[in-house]
Amino acid sequence: MACITNCKIVAHQEVAPDHRRIVLDAPDIAADARPGQFCMIEVREGSSPFLRRPMSIERIFDDGISILYKAMGEGTRMMASIPTGAYINVQGPLGNIFPIESDTVRSILVAGGIGIAPLIGLAEAIIARGARAPEVILAARTECLLLCEKELSQMGCAVTLATDDGSAGFKGFAADALRLLDPDSKTLVYTCGPNVMMRAVYDVCAAADTRCYASLEAVMACGDGVCMGCVVETNAENEFAKMARVCREGPVFDARVIRWNAFD
Amino acid sequence: MPVNLQIDLGGLTMKNPVTVASGTFGYGAEYADYFDVSQLGAVTVKSLSLEPRSGNVPPRIVETPSGMLNAIGLQNVGMETYLREKLPFLREKKCVIIANIYGSGPEAYASLASRLEAEGGADAIEANLSCPNVHDAQNARGGSLVAQHPDQVALYTQAIREATKLPVFIKLSPNVTDIVEPALAAQEAGADAVSLINTLIGMAIDSETRKPRISNIVGGLSGPAIRPVALKMVWDVSRALHIPVLGMGGIATADDAVQFLLAGARAVAIGCASFRNPDAALKVVQGIENYCQQHGISDVNELVGAVKL
Repeated sequence: MACITNCKIVAHQEVAPDHRRIVLDAPDIAADARPGQFCMIEVREGSSPFLRRPMSIERIFDDGISILYKAMGEGTRMMASIPTGAYINVQGPLGNIFPIESDTVRSILVAGGIGIAPLIGLAEAIIARGARAPEVILAARTECLLLCEKELSQMGCAVTLATDDGSAGFKGFAADALRLLDPDSKTLVYTCGPNVMMRAVYDVCAAADTRCYASLEAVMACGDGVCMGCVVETNAENEFAKMARVCREGPVFDARVIRWNAFD
Repeated sequence: MPVNLQIDLGGLTMKNPVTVASGTFGYGAEYADYFDVSQLGAVTVKSLSLEPRSGNVPPRIVETPSGMLNAIGLQNVGMETYLREKLPFLREKKCVIIANIYGSGPEAYASLASRLEAEGGADAIEANLSCPNVHDAQNARGGSLVAQHPDQVALYTQAIREATKLPVFIKLSPNVTDIVEPALAAQEAGADAVSLINTLIGMAIDSETRKPRISNIVGGLSGPAIRPVALKMVWDVSRALHIPVLGMGGIATADDAVQFLLAGARAVAIGCASFRNPDAALKVVQGIENYCQQHGISDVNELVGAVKL
């Protein structure tokens, strides 16, 4: 059950240019949270900014959570200046979860940039289930934006790096790197990143008869299924279901239900 | 000191003068995790149409200074699904229900109102004649809203009035020269109360891509940014009409709500403030009670229109 709570900031530091990790003392949220879910964060009191900011939960601990975010807009830059030891108001956990199947032979996580955030907790959960450590493709524009490689390697994940400019690992896109890993019908792919990347990842999966789950991002007002502001277009026949709320039906979707060409 | 918070809004008895604005509270159950929603004077549900609607294509919302623009396009489950799946929760919690309705002509509004009454789906009807984001009613890029034409307001109000014995509220648009005119038209055609204001039509452009921030190009502005405009319109309308006013527009706190009561609103609705804090409306109820106690007011009705000029 979601709750709203003032959380003490246990740690808050830069992990890459404009990218930060915040660790929150949040036992109530941690008790309910599962990989794939997100929180709505109030970056400042008062009416500016007016809305909370949706952010994926990175890792779930006994007494708190961590969040990995990119300080790119007005709200997130304000958040970046909040010091360790201060309190921040957090609503969560919200949204659905990554389905984890205990009999999965092979799983591949495909992350674009900050899209690695929810996949870290997923990797931990897959390993905790006793399944084989997932393979991970970390893709980014350039080397310094490849996040969490060390953490994933320490968990036992085989990590493939891909950069658009070739500054580290494979020179090319995430979907090309995925194709080289040769996924098949027994493979399960989880992806999070820019829509254009996830669409290409899905195309590779569809061609290989590989199931694919995508975690989507959207601008949100409520995060709680009320405002209908964060929808994505789906392939549903039902009139109401043609638009699915990222906050409620998602953020994790079976990639087959998303109308990917709507993002063109 | 005990304070009477109960009010009568055009024949609808509310245990306190606080409800929520349609579209900002779902069907009540969505926020039940955070507080007992039956503590509100009424729950106003998301606009209902006869058939389900998928609404506008995304992006639908953008944050603006002290507020937001939205162009949802009335995505909703439709009347039958509401009655079957959403209503039982509200009835079980013994919520007072204001059903906001939307249709493509007077007959559709009349059908919605009579069906809601027959099925016990509402305790009052609020007719949305002022959504700026639906293209079958109007087109914000050139068309107009029903609520912009007093003669049309009268026609729609009369059709709904004839279709139901439930209290009928008409929700008005601020996108007019003088909101008193459509308000008077609603009153003369038999409305029991008027709700105001709906959102102000606005726009935002991404200067990098040169594209509008929302796919509908224009959208409805809400939030604290519009509060002074809403307050002034509530003041104008409540002086000109003898039926009560349900005031809304950027109310986030009890102090905001008291201002609307003083300006002449009989009751208030909390809108997108619930997005930030789901229990904002409950805090307003508690805050109004505290205000009355601190100011020696035994009945909240004493505040209505009591602004000192």
